[in-house]
Amino acid sequence: MSLAIEANGLTKDFEKGRRTIWQRLRREPDQRETFRAVDDIDLHVAEGEVFGLLGPNGAGKTTTMRMLATLLEPTSGSATVLGHDLVRGARDIRRRLGAVLAGERSLYWKLTARENLEYFAALYHVPRAQTAERINQLLEDVQLTDRADDYVEKFSTGMRQRLVLARALLPAPSLLLLDEPTVGLDPQAARDLRERVLQLRDEGRTVLLTTHYMEEADQLCDRIAIVDHGRIVALDTPDALKRGLHANEVVRLEVSAPEGSDPRLVERVATAGEVTQRDRVDGSLHLTVHCVSARDLVPLVIDAARSASGEVRNIQVLPVSLEDVFISLTGRALRE
Amino acid sequence: MSVADFTGDARAFWAATRKEWRILRRYPGSFLSFIFWPIALPLAFVFQAQAFSGGRADTAAAFAARTGTNEVAGFLFVGWATYMWLSIILWGPGTSLRTEQIRGSLEAIFLTPASRLVVLIGPAVSQLVWAIWIFGIVGIAVWVGFGVSIGPLEAVRALAVIVVGVPALYAIGALFAAVVLRFGDASALVQAVRGVFTALCGMSFPIVVLPDWAQTVALTLPPTYLIADLRAVLLSGSELGRVIGDLGILAAMGAVLALLAIAAFRNTEQYARRGGRLAQY
Repeated sequence: MSLAIEANGLTKDFEKGRRTIWQRLRREPDQRETFRAVDDIDLHVAEGEVFGLLGPNGAGKTTTMRMLATLLEPTSGSATVLGHDLVRGARDIRRRLGAVLAGERSLYWKLTARENLEYFAALYHVPRAQTAERINQLLEDVQLTDRADDYVEKFSTGMRQRLVLARALLPAPSLLLLDEPTVGLDPQAARDLRERVLQLRDEGRTVLLTTHYMEEADQLCDRIAIVDHGRIVALDTPDALKRGLHANEVVRLEVSAPEGSDPRLVERVATAGEVTQRDRVDGSLHLTVHCVSARDLVPLVIDAARSASGEVRNIQVLPVSLEDVFISLTGRALRE
Repeated sequence: MSVADFTGDARAFWAATRKEWRILRRYPGSFLSFIFWPIALPLAFVFQAQAFSGGRADTAAAFAARTGTNEVAGFLFVGWATYMWLSIILWGPGTSLRTEQIRGSLEAIFLTPASRLVVLIGPAVSQLVWAIWIFGIVGIAVWVGFGVSIGPLEAVRALAVIVVGVPALYAIGALFAAVVLRFGDASALVQAVRGVFTALCGMSFPIVVLPDWAQTVALTLPPTYLIADLRAVLLSGSELGRVIGDLGILAAMGAVLALLAIAAFRNTEQYARRGGRLAQY
């Protein structure tokens, strides 16, 4: 198996706060605290794979992406991207790399879509003879042919994001990095973009994407690394990650019972499944339970509620999702 | 660097120039503003000079002896036109880089295999457009207002002087660009340097009136040569051969400053790449 990305012990530290020019001139010791954004990550992404980094905001996904895109130097660790060392072979990597990082802000609004692509085609060293044809094809692929000669300032967010994707595809990249590609897009535009990602996989390209939308990761990715506090806490296929929970169903319960009965009630529910979340909201106990069978759990919960002089007010039975995997691994929800 | 890289970067360089030019002409208002100021600012100094000299022949002769021309209006207009163009160049690279940083396009550029110097130097050529525009306005103004006629030959010589001067001036601007990437802002520094240039380089006076030490300092500053040579070819009818020494100094200064700017930019880029500052705004 050839690897598009091979990272070992990748770590990135940032300094918090600032050091004034005066402090520098006086050669005062640097007393800034260090914040570890990415902590000793190992990542092996096969060629032709769609690989997802899933995690909440601030988990270290974007920092990892920027390091692999050669925009950030790692503090320690090493990585090979498309067969080139991340630091020494940065220019070689960039020849075969496409990236959507900053989204719609990174276009020239006073240039047309075509002019934007012409400029970047030159920066990507696309041969002159191929430039016009490639731009036309990409504009068609992202459905912007009819708006090719309009200024970007007149485009909607979705159109700009599509143009940014077209720009990333200009060098016909072997590896495409997509950082939160559907953030800010309306549902239709997001669906179109996901379909495009699947097409890219069918074309044999490797895609590394970050997202905090679990459905997106589930739908698109061959494998997913769940990232939290800069570390990979789990890495596998979406199905394997879900299977790892040892549960087939997730049951969300709302039980109205006196507050003092909570420990006993939870203890009884725990005999039929794993209680992963427990909150009291407006006088009711809210529980999330991972279980093998809701059919076995629900009668037990109803009986337990009755014993505590309460009643079950709401039951939701759901299939296991990546969100549940995340909660199980980190103890908190993805969007917290 | 391979031949393919070199030709690729050459194309990228021209693409950067073309992009700047395209954006520039989509803001026609900025050209209009540079019709008014190249006329109004020096005109005030022309009236001031007339008031101070009292219209006497001996003061006019003293001026001609010190400057090599008796065209007071032309002298002042050329000086201030250079000042305005200089201001654009000094602000240009830093502002351009900061705009790219704020817009997020700086990271997009840095994701490409093109040389970093393309983004830094590419827009320089578009600065020539400003030079032609400002000096064109000034040429018309001194011809219509003061009867100072500048022929096509003088204009071509002036353009040659400007072309020789661009690397030095643009390199100073590029040094400010490195400061922008490092600290996020270079306004105070640009203002200070612009002030030094105004005070010492002879925008509105010949540098011979400065104290000796100030003249020595002035001779280390590229704008001094640029202004003097522009006046020589435009107002005194000098051929390029007569200012070739100055142009050589200007070109040498340009080479040294360009190397400094490249080193500073590379160093700052490393710093930005370590601290994640390419996309900070």
